[in-house]
Amino acid sequence: MTTRVLVPMDDSELAESALRYALETHADADITVMHVVGEPSSMLGEATALALEDDIEAAAEEQASEVLARARAIADEYDRDIDTVVDMGRPGRAIVDRAESFDTVVIGSHGSSLVDRLFIGNVAQTVFQRCPVPVTVVR
Amino acid sequence: MVEVLIGVGLLVALFVGFNIGGSTTGPAFGPAVGAGAISKFLAGVLMSIFFAIGAWTIGRRVVNTLGRDLVYDPGVFTIETSIVVLFFIGGALFVGNYVGVPASTSMTAVGAIAGLGVATGELNWTVMGEIAIWWIVAPLVGFWVSVMIGRYVYPTLNSWIAITQTEGALVEFDRSGLLPVPQAGPNTTRREFFGTIVLVSIGCLMAFSSGTSNIANAIAPLYGAGVSMNPLILAGSAAVAVGALSIARRTLDTLGNDITDLPLTAAIVVAVVASAIVIGLSAIGIPASFVIIATMSIVGLGWGRATRTATVSGSIRGEDETNVSVGALAAEEPGEEAPEIGEEEPEDIPKASDLFDPSTTGRVILMQNLVPVISTLGSYVAFWALFTFLW
Repeated sequence: MTTRVLVPMDDSELAESALRYALETHADADITVMHVVGEPSSMLGEATALALEDDIEAAAEEQASEVLARARAIADEYDRDIDTVVDMGRPGRAIVDRAESFDTVVIGSHGSSLVDRLFIGNVAQTVFQRCPVPVTVVR
Repeated sequence: MVEVLIGVGLLVALFVGFNIGGSTTGPAFGPAVGAGAISKFLAGVLMSIFFAIGAWTIGRRVVNTLGRDLVYDPGVFTIETSIVVLFFIGGALFVGNYVGVPASTSMTAVGAIAGLGVATGELNWTVMGEIAIWWIVAPLVGFWVSVMIGRYVYPTLNSWIAITQTEGALVEFDRSGLLPVPQAGPNTTRREFFGTIVLVSIGCLMAFSSGTSNIANAIAPLYGAGVSMNPLILAGSAAVAVGALSIARRTLDTLGNDITDLPLTAAIVVAVVASAIVIGLSAIGIPASFVIIATMSIVGLGWGRATRTATVSGSIRGEDETNVSVGALAAEEPGEEAPEIGEEEPEDIPKASDLFDPSTTGRVILMQNLVPVISTLGSYVAFWALFTFLW
């Protein structure tokens, strides 16, 4: 049975490093890249903008398309196929929930800005503490 | 020496006003400017005018609360203490504007004055308690009203307000008469023209509500120190105008603003709900926390919409296609038989309600309180130290 690796990605460069690390280290594994949209922002406008869409799923896919396209491009460099999945809401919680059906998680240690960290929290730390499967933190 | 100090005090007050102008023009007129309805310059002018009207008519009641009622002895406001209080308010605004953590100026101002009051033992806890209770009640009212709107009337509102953009300026001015008369531009439909008027009016309403609530933040300490009200309101409004016409041009572009990021209809709903509450509170002399009221209104709208259920009449007309939470729809694979309601395993479905779980909202509100709390503690410590060692 092949190893199933979950790689949660935001739009930071560190997330791309995490994906590269996962591709290199888990050469034969099934890799799934996950992106979370509608994250908490300073006045929760992002989440509400998403919730007000008529077709929330389609809007979420649309918002995630850029990050996921970049992930696929990186996977192409390694001649690999990856699965992608889009979740909504608070990244830490979404990742931990999702991780249950994987063997391991590879994640970048931090995202883009200080303000994001204030409102979203330290995602890697949340995952590290609560994840049911082994976690690799890339920094 | 006293003249110099008054000069410094006034300067800090003007800096506060300047920053209010800079930070409020974005949320108020961002949607209108973004839709190409008005220029940034016109946005600044409208902001200045309606802020001043709000400050002059209702705003003085809040100035009175902060400058006279919140402390037993307004004598604690000297020019020196006013400068320190204003320094904390200005600093908080600065952080809000430039780091990107939105903070209620009013809460920060009340906090800074309360710090002074506690340090001198003159804080009127009854007034403070009344204000604090409104700070809890008002956002809840905003939340509830917005949930109702999001759940039951949002789609209807959306279809009314929808502005379909066409070529050409939305509004042109007929300058043949004595006064320029706005009229629909080429290709502007009637509905579009109406939508534009609504957008600009909403901006003016928000500017007005900001005037009623925020003028106190710039001038209340100086009013407490004995400077008279009317000249202060005029000076404060002038400073806001300078901010609205200068830095607001930049903040309109760069500042990530959650209200302007919303769909147009949502921005209008939030603006109306939050402004109405702020104006109401100002009318009874309570400084309102616009940022938190607006945030709870945004959350309410999104949550109400995300957890909407089909109404009986909606199902019959076939408008609402779902009888479980909307997020559940896409989890059904084509060809797969739809599971009976209640039989799905909720874990597999990314639910839209995940966007607004209470801990997420709680965290955001907590962060918005960070700046006011720092300002309160900082002010208390500063005054304690000043009174103990210097004065």
